[in-house]
Amino acid sequence: MYRYTDFDRLFVRQRAAQYRDQLERNLAGKLGDEEFRPLRLQNGWYVQRHAPMLRIAVPYGALSALQLRRLARIAREFDRGYGHFTTRQNLQFNWIPLAKSADVMDLLAEVDMHGIQTSGNCIRNITSDALAGVAPDEIVDPRPYCEVLRQWSTLHPEFAFLPRKFKIAVSGAAEDRAAISWHDIGLRLVKNAAGEVGFDVRVGGGMGRTPLIATTIREFLPWQEILLYIEAIVRVYNRYGRRDNAYKARIKILVKAEGQKFVDAVEQEFRHILADDTDGAAHRIPAAELERVQASFVLPEGITEAGAPSGWPQEACGAFARWLQRNVHAHRLPGYRAVTLSLKRAGQAPGDVTAAQMEAAATLAERHSSGELRVTHDQNLVLPWVREGDLEALWHAAKDAGFATPNIGLVTDMIACPGGDFCGLANARSIPVAAEITERFADLDEQDDIGDIDLHISGCINSCGHHHSGHIGILGVDKDGSEWYQLTLGGADGSALSGPALPGKVIGPSFAADEVADAVEALIETYKAQRRKGERFIDTVRRIGIEPFKAPANAVRRSTAAAA
Amino acid sequence: MRFVDIHKDRWHALGGEDGPPVSINPEPYLLLDLAQWHAVRAQWPAGVPVGLKLANDQDVEDVAADLPRFGLVALHFPKWVDGRAYSQARLLRVRYRFGGELRATGEVLVDMLPLLARTGFDAAVLRHDQSLEAAQRALGFFPAHYQGDAADNRPLFARPGAAREALAKAAEFVHAGASI
Repeated sequence: MYRYTDFDRLFVRQRAAQYRDQLERNLAGKLGDEEFRPLRLQNGWYVQRHAPMLRIAVPYGALSALQLRRLARIAREFDRGYGHFTTRQNLQFNWIPLAKSADVMDLLAEVDMHGIQTSGNCIRNITSDALAGVAPDEIVDPRPYCEVLRQWSTLHPEFAFLPRKFKIAVSGAAEDRAAISWHDIGLRLVKNAAGEVGFDVRVGGGMGRTPLIATTIREFLPWQEILLYIEAIVRVYNRYGRRDNAYKARIKILVKAEGQKFVDAVEQEFRHILADDTDGAAHRIPAAELERVQASFVLPEGITEAGAPSGWPQEACGAFARWLQRNVHAHRLPGYRAVTLSLKRAGQAPGDVTAAQMEAAATLAERHSSGELRVTHDQNLVLPWVREGDLEALWHAAKDAGFATPNIGLVTDMIACPGGDFCGLANARSIPVAAEITERFADLDEQDDIGDIDLHISGCINSCGHHHSGHIGILGVDKDGSEWYQLTLGGADGSALSGPALPGKVIGPSFAADEVADAVEALIETYKAQRRKGERFIDTVRRIGIEPFKAPANAVRRSTAAAA
Repeated sequence: MRFVDIHKDRWHALGGEDGPPVSINPEPYLLLDLAQWHAVRAQWPAGVPVGLKLANDQDVEDVAADLPRFGLVALHFPKWVDGRAYSQARLLRVRYRFGGELRATGEVLVDMLPLLARTGFDAAVLRHDQSLEAAQRALGFFPAHYQGDAADNRPLFARPGAAREALAKAAEFVHAGASI
């Protein structure tokens, strides 16, 4: 993990002090609520349905056991005892009174954490591959680059009030586990024929009302240039992005409207920075700086490149074997594995963790993963440094703590936003829909039979639950004050399983809340009837199209049929 | 950062109707908008101080050649959360080396000051209800930053010793935070 320098610590402490000053002025009536709003947003405080939501940055998903224990303490002392991991690898609390917010920021700063730029129209927390540094298919470890980008984007004075939020994702492996093409900027680390490291730079992806896939504007940008090139992109966006309509303000709209003109403008701005600006090339990253940051991302103490003797359980059977198959992943070091702690289980919303569970996960990380965890884009936790010989002990402990549901990649391992139960923007609730589907497919044999599938649920068109990229997407919509759900089919996040990033297609009019689980079941039954041997859900959808799914889904309509 | 008291300000806009008037007398310290400047730029006498008001959707590139003639450029924030003028300021200072006064006008709030100062503004007309004390305080929370800015375009990693200097100053900054 990145090790904070004394400067980094001072910086986060001063950010907490600055926030306290702003909060105190707000509470004293010297800073109006409307004017305080953008300031608190850029510290992660977003007023929700019940109370302010606090979104805490987990930079590129890397979390220490110590930090997780601190989050547990905050959950217990300031919230109602639980938190929620998001698709952007952050953690959200829902019930902390605003008056206590500065105290929480101080507690976070003590463990090198903060809420800087987790909300607001600025460059947000950067996301990455949850298996960075441990995946066997990794080409370049993205974490040092993420950290350099994190520092550069932190409190950037020119880009604090962009037309709209701005999200960057970085991947460095053959497999895209960060959905990079769905981001404002998606970066893929690659090596050229000469073995030099560079970025494949994509720009203009995004979900929301207008789902668009990012287009590549540079196939190979030398890594040293990345800050300069992103500066060029964000400056063009800051100057020319639309500000008259929040729905058209994301960079994707500018990229789509201007096409090649946008690309030309970025390239021209990039040339100007280097040729015309005072110290224009100063943000070119020197090898020494990359090495300084890379020094934080060495193997944890006690682990060497040689790995460990193989300890893969040979005699595994039953539930343990199932867990090994679904929740344990290949590792670049022999004798090691990465293990997912599933946060998808009956009785709790997807991504939710109680304070006790946070502490349990921290203990598992300390015992079996060098004190390190990762938050995944799919809202689970990963232990990245597990010795094969520890797997059985870890499985027992994970089971006791409620983390061992062997469902990773299966239908109940769904992505879901907090929805209308918490979120002020939502048109409909996500959690009850997720709960009903979890219950419906509780049988593990049945889940295994259905196989790999991405089910994504968003409570509104803002798409925090990434419904556009789900093989099955569920979108909450509001009609006449009641909750309805639109179903989409065939979306893709850009992974090898899903295929190139693509928004799903709507299969028909919205379903009533009490029809959704039936409709999902009908889609899955249709797949089972239509699939060829070994064919996965998304492949069947791609082969036969969405038409054959429509009639079975429509057949479950009761209330919507009566209304039609 | 200089906080401008508009009642004591020597710069003044042209009175009367909007848009380019038929004739503008070249008096000192006139603050002209872009259309007005275009109407007089050919005849404006050297040595008579003149300032330019730029809207935040006007390109600084279009006035680059005239910049040495301006004593002041005023950039406007129609809403404080509209960040376009930060890019204009940064370009004026870092790319076009504008050396005159760079003034923030419009909805200028105290919490914008760190951003204004770092993008190259050296003067601000605070909104009438803003506290000067809070404005000065807002400038004092961070002893250094990661990325370069208009004052020094080098990021922290390109400034040897900068982090150490920042830490040496830490005590006064920490104190500033703790004294609330």
